[in-house]
Amino acid sequence: MKLLFQNVIKTLLPGSLLLAALASIATAQEVSRLRLTSLDSLAARASQTVDVNIDERLMHVAATALTGDDSKEIKKLISGVKGIYVKSFEFEHENEYSPADVEDVRSQLRLPGWSKLVNVTSKKEGNVEVYVLFNGDAVGGLAILSTEPKELTVVNIVGPVDLQKLAEFEGEFGIPDLGLEPIKPKAKKEN
Amino acid sequence: MNDDYLWDKSGEPDPEIQQLEQILGTLRYQPRPLELPDDLIVQRRRNYFPLMAIAATFVIALLAAGLWWRTTSQKKPALHEVKVDQPASAPTIDKQVDNKTLATDNHGPSPVPSVHRHKHQSPNVLASNTRRRSNSTPTLSPAQEKEAEDAKAQLLMALRLASEKLNLVQRKTQGGTAPPNQIRNQHKIG
Repeated sequence: MKLLFQNVIKTLLPGSLLLAALASIATAQEVSRLRLTSLDSLAARASQTVDVNIDERLMHVAATALTGDDSKEIKKLISGVKGIYVKSFEFEHENEYSPADVEDVRSQLRLPGWSKLVNVTSKKEGNVEVYVLFNGDAVGGLAILSTEPKELTVVNIVGPVDLQKLAEFEGEFGIPDLGLEPIKPKAKKEN
Repeated sequence: MNDDYLWDKSGEPDPEIQQLEQILGTLRYQPRPLELPDDLIVQRRRNYFPLMAIAATFVIALLAAGLWWRTTSQKKPALHEVKVDQPASAPTIDKQVDNKTLATDNHGPSPVPSVHRHKHQSPNVLASNTRRRSNSTPTLSPAQEKEAEDAKAQLLMALRLASEKLNLVQRKTQGGTAPPNQIRNQHKIG
């Protein structure tokens, strides 16, 4: 009986370990996807809301619609990306949302794997935090948390992304400025 | 007769008892080290059961955690729409963006566009060498085209927002001076 049990264990153990490895990979991918549903309640108070949910299927669908000279660059940028999720709220007045509203997102970004890459603090313009999720040496996701007095924006990119190319994306590839954020006078001076 | 010697070896010794002591004394316990015979074969059997049990428990716990995480994360509905709610006083969106591509509230998720279409083969044909057009663009139905355009608009908006925030971080971190791109120097990703 004991011998039988040991044989069963020997047979099942490699499969179980493989399943465990696959489950851990799937779990890592799930960690890179932030749960942003806690922010949905802010939509009622916001004067303008942007809610973008692009899963892997929609990424492929969008890629089919990308044509033109810049499509290659954009496709290269989003290759490997499993999803992009954005929630942005603009408010009429200041302090219409509290840090507690963002706490759920912050708690997810404190999980192992996430690293705070950049943190910019400004009393007037608010804070911008850039987080990167590392799966070992590879990058598994990006999160940008921008908390301004009248605006709250959370961007979550699931999968590997080139930050340099993404930063260069604005104003290129024929992407129009949607005017969702007013251009800061300081930035104009710099230009 | 005095029996003290028999009980506690005190008093007058009894010769019979002394004789018995001498006879039985040879059988007395004498401590000596254990001596194993040279031809004895010792088989060591390692018991792997506790190790296996621990490994199996660990694997089951990992699987359970993975499944739990997966189920909890799948509870939320997969939204794929862009909602831009603007009151009259809110800033307007640039007209370069087609409103049709942004206002997608009036349609739900449509089926996945099938890029590869299978041709119907005759049942008499056992095998055929079909040529695949390498550079052909998939033909999409109007609904699929609309979904693709919507997805593209969402994608570009999301990328632009992310880029905008990254540039904001860049501007703030660089300040007045113009050092090399900090994000560029942070990590090479992809």
